[in-house]
Parts: sequence; structure tokens; C-alpha cells
Amino acid sequence: MPKVQASRRGKEEPPEGWSDLEPTLQEFKQKMRDAENESAAGKRRVESTWSVMRVHHQRSRYIYDLFYKRKAISRKLYDYCVKNGHADANLIAKWRKQGFEKLCCLQCIQARDTNYGTACICRVPKAKLEEGRVVECVHCGCRGCASTD
Amino acid sequence: MAAAAGDGAEFPILCETCLGDNPYVRMTKEPMGRECKVCVRPFTVFRWLPGRGMRYKKTEICPTCAKLKNVCQTCVLDLEFGLPVQARDSALGIEGSVPQQDGNRRDYTARTAGSLDVVGGETEFSGRAQPAGRAMLERIARKGPYYRRNKPHICSFFVKGQCTRGNECPYRHEMPQGDPELAKQNIVDRYHGNNDPVAKRMLARAGKRAAPLTAPEDKSVTSLFVMGLGDAVAQDDLRDHFAAYGELKSVAIAPKGACAFVNFKTRAGAEAAAQAALGGCVVGGQALRVAWGKPRPKGPTTEVGGSGSGNGGGGGVGGVPRIPAPPGAAGAAMYPSQDPTARGAS
Repeated sequence: MPKVQASRRGKEEPPEGWSDLEPTLQEFKQKMRDAENESAAGKRRVESTWSVMRVHHQRSRYIYDLFYKRKAISRKLYDYCVKNGHADANLIAKWRKQGFEKLCCLQCIQARDTNYGTACICRVPKAKLEEGRVVECVHCGCRGCASTD
Repeated sequence: MAAAAGDGAEFPILCETCLGDNPYVRMTKEPMGRECKVCVRPFTVFRWLPGRGMRYKKTEICPTCAKLKNVCQTCVLDLEFGLPVQARDSALGIEGSVPQQDGNRRDYTARTAGSLDVVGGETEFSGRAQPAGRAMLERIARKGPYYRRNKPHICSFFVKGQCTRGNECPYRHEMPQGDPELAKQNIVDRYHGNNDPVAKRMLARAGKRAAPLTAPEDKSVTSLFVMGLGDAVAQDDLRDHFAAYGELKSVAIAPKGACAFVNFKTRAGAEAAAQAALGGCVVGGQALRVAWGKPRPKGPTTEVGGSGSGNGGGGGVGGVPRIPAPPGAAGAAMYPSQDPTARGAS
């Protein structure tokens, strides 16, 4: 039988450097669980998922930071993390593009989700917003993720 | 799937205020989006932002209902005057043809839905046949768009002191102002013209303003000051109209032609004419406002128009303004404008 099947059965071994990462990632995992289990008291209807989105962003940011910015982990380790759900590859792909370095979540650039086919209000730089207006976007509670902010 | 394509509305029937000040407004269209608040039939909902810092507005009643009363689809105020249905209808003497009871109304709107292609349908809403009523409405109506109406609603949590959204709260953080009696409004009542507190107040105020046709104490005043003359009204028309109440001493029309003095021989005649003209009289097709003249009955005035309250314009011979006494000389007048015998601008 091809080798693939054999490696699929058992859990793949984590690459080198994993032990340095593991405690932080465990913390993130715990945070995520807490966010999922929060009570919905005193929150708006949309607000209930904001903390989940937040942890998701933070977690992916951590891995992105280590690999692309600080270059502190290997490609193998990076791929391993992504594969095991510790980071969102699609979101990280956006962060590598110019102008999207601080993107909050993937929903906010989805034009299909808006009434007029635009991006979310949180993508508007504060300089363009005027009126001293504070926005919390409805998808993730972001207050502004333009690269200039 | 959708056998009922709904109304094929391309653009909502809206008033200037509701649409807002932005000429490039973006609007979403949602066919069969909501039920009409009046007839409960589904219709195409349009939603737009009427300007910066405003709330999103949407159409609340269907175009059929709007056409039947000639009102805006969102604010349910008259399209021409911007006034409540009750106020307009009572001023123009329009009988409501839309039945109010459930079944009758549903049947009526369903029947008329297809056949209304012109706004207003069969009823004449502009009051061309009742110039007096129309003039009254034109007086009460606002002169320009009233964008304050489009502001976000008041944050009810803030009123209780419980708004956790703070700075990013899209609702207004102010305390509710204004008469709480006026706040009890119901869209269906406003549409049919029943029990509308705003309309009632407007009509009461309009009635009061017309009332200063109370006779002045000076019994020698026998002249009426008439405003609102257009080109159509000639001296003869005025004579014919007012002679019916008493013998006329003279009729003088101001050179500008916008107002006139009608002087009666008897005080009683003047009073009779004033009483009859209370709601506004119509002479030669023009709606006129009548007020008591000031104690200098003869001669035209150089000033045009004036307020609708009891004071007419100065009745003296126009021209040279009299230099008022130095302030403090008589002791009574502190400023030239307080001097009651001063004529013209000083």
C-alpha cells in the first residue's frame, strides 16, 4: 500500500521547535474555549461572536509573526501549525499583501456581505472617517484595521 | 417561484426631507421586503442614508397607499406641503376615501393597486378649488427641508443611564425633548387622519392666528387691511365684495398692489366684514387675509405684506421717515424703534 495511508493513521510527529511554541498555543486554545463558552448576557446579538474572532486573529497573528516577521520558526513547523488549526492560512495570506497588513478578519473584506458591495466600515482609515466617529464593525467588533491606523 | 412580483416600483415616492441632501444617495431595493404599515400588503422596500450622521430611512407604506393620500412613503406627510394628512384634509375639505376598517381597506387597496398610475389618483390634493384653505396650508407649511427629522433616534438606554456602547453608540445621547403628548403617534392614525396630535396642534395654532380679528378698542377704526392681493384683484372686485357688509367710504390699493385698505363708513360694517372674512376670504379667485387697519386709515403703505396677526402695516403716507426724538427725551421711548409714531425705517 502507498506510504500515505500509513502516515495518515497515526498522528504525525511535531517538527523541531514545537516544544517552544506549544505552551503559548495551548493558552490560545484555552482562550478560544473560553470565548466560545461565554455567556451571552448584556451583549448585542452580533457581539457574541466578537471574542471568538478576536482570539482567532491573535492566534494566527502569533504564528504569522514568528514565521514571516521574525523568521523564528521553520517552514515545516509553520505548515504543521497551520495544518493543525493553530493559524488561518487564508488570513495570513491577506496579511502578506500590501494594505491588508492589519486586516481583522476575512469577513470584513467580503464585498458580497455588504448592502452596496463595499468592504466593511472598519477598513476605512480613520483619517477618512472624520467626525471623530468611533466604529465597531458588526462582523468582528473591529475599530479600524486599515494599515495606516 | 414568486408569482407575485409585487409592485414594479423603480423609485419610492418620497418628500424632499426624507430623501436628504446628498444628490448621490445610494439606495437598496428589496422587492417584497416588508408589509405596508397601513394595508399590510408586501411591497418593495427602499433603504438609503439621508445624509451624514443621519439614520437609515426606509419606505414604510406601499406606493398604493401613498398615492391614495398623496403622501411620502416614509414620513406619511403630504408631498406638496409636508403637513400631516389630518391638517391638509381639514383645510382643503377632503373626505377620506380610503376605508379604515380591516376588510374594507384590504379590498379597496387591492382593487385600486393596479389602476393608480398618477400620484393622487382621482382626488385633487393640491386644493386649487379652495384657495383659502390652500393659502392657510401654505402659511403653516415649512419653507425648506427639515433634516432634523432624519437624525438617529434617541438612545433609550442612555435615557436610563445604561448605555454600554458609549462613544460608538449610533443613537443620540440626548434627553427626549418636546411635548410628550405629541410623542404618542400611530402611523395608521396619521395616515387616515384620525387623532393626530401634531395636526390638531397645527390647526389650533392656525385658528388662533386668524382670530386677532378682534376689534381694536379704538372705536374710530373703521378700516380693514387686506393682504394677499395678486394681479387679478381689482379695486372693483374689492368694492363689490366688501360693500355687502356695509357702506364703503373708500378703497385704496397700495401702489405695489399687494395690499389694500378698505374703509367703511360705519364701524359695524367693518366688524361685519372682518367677522365674515375670519377664515380668509376669496375675492376674484385670490385668497386674502384680512386684518384691522391701524388708526390712520387713509393712504397706501410702502411696505408689502406683514404678519398675519392683528397689526397691519403703517398706514401713513409713505416716503419721508420722521426723525424720532432723541432717546430719553420723552422718557418713554428708549430706542427709535420703540417710538410708536415713527414711520418707516430710521
